[in-house]
Amino acid sequence: MTARKSPPHKHARAIKIMPGAYPVFSHKTAMRLLQLLRDPEVQETAARAIVDKAEELRIAVLAHVGRMEAAARSADLVTTFEQAHEIRGLAGNAGLVATGRIANGLCKYLDAIERAECASDRELVVLHLEAIARAARAEDEATRLGDAVANELAALVDKKLAEINDSARPRPGHGVRA
Amino acid sequence: MSGATFDHLKALIVEDNVHMRTLLRSLLAALGINHVYEAADGADALATLRDKAPDMILTDLSMKPVDGIAFTRSVRLSHDSPNPYVPIIMITGHTERHKVEAARDAGVTEFLAKPITAQGLFLRIAEIVERPRAYVRCASYFGPDRRRRADDNYAGPWRRHEDLAKDLELK
Repeated sequence: MTARKSPPHKHARAIKIMPGAYPVFSHKTAMRLLQLLRDPEVQETAARAIVDKAEELRIAVLAHVGRMEAAARSADLVTTFEQAHEIRGLAGNAGLVATGRIANGLCKYLDAIERAECASDRELVVLHLEAIARAARAEDEATRLGDAVANELAALVDKKLAEINDSARPRPGHGVRA
Repeated sequence: MSGATFDHLKALIVEDNVHMRTLLRSLLAALGINHVYEAADGADALATLRDKAPDMILTDLSMKPVDGIAFTRSVRLSHDSPNPYVPIIMITGHTERHKVEAARDAGVTEFLAKPITAQGLFLRIAEIVERPRAYVRCASYFGPDRRRRADDNYAGPWRRHEDLAKDLELK
């Protein structure tokens, strides 16, 4: 048998506490819950509850879109990001799939630039904000056009993220002490 | 089977968006869990946790002033936490790797990405009910075991003290 490499760091002393040594669901409750979780009728009722909520969520998404646009107009990037994040979280369950995908792309991008501590590409942000607003307000949001826009923007974001990663990578000769 | 209710089972929803709270409440109601408490952020949730002693928690990540990660850390590590072992399912739109890792390292039991599906939520609940995980306490972490599977081919890194013993045995 080959020996495993020794770790380079100090080993942590860990105590393992097994289920039962701490309180868990009683056997009876666990069995009943599992039965319900796997019951097709229960699953259908739950799935219907999500569908029934879609219109309410769509209205909520539109309210967030309005707040996001207002924040962007006053160059408030933090609020813009917060609102885009809210849209990303709600849009999928509101049936606004393309809107959710575009908001997700914007959130990914804003998160990456915040972590890399670099300035945002204003054009890219504006492009996303306009696309989110248009998609959310379109009657036929779930069309191939919405999908195409989401795909194009996702490709743009990927390109930008690659640029951010490249610039964060140490260049040869940099950071090496003589 | 449907129509059954759990009189003693209690759940806490921690979410700043009222629409999401009602959506999650209706999913739990479909399961027959009717004792559902709500909190709009982590600070509110800690107070509810003390008062109501829920059996499971569904929490969002982004909330103000106390977010889901800080809340989870308080539940797991605070000396006056009423139940550091309570299962916590984090439901969030944040799917960036560093956020997921931060949630895991805070002691989240399960992670569910939005948009919510009934199947996704039910799978996570089934996981905590059917396969409750061991808890690990060490200097830098307390929470569900982050090693979810035993992998015979795992080649390290070996971080735990008992791993060192295994390591020496093999040499």
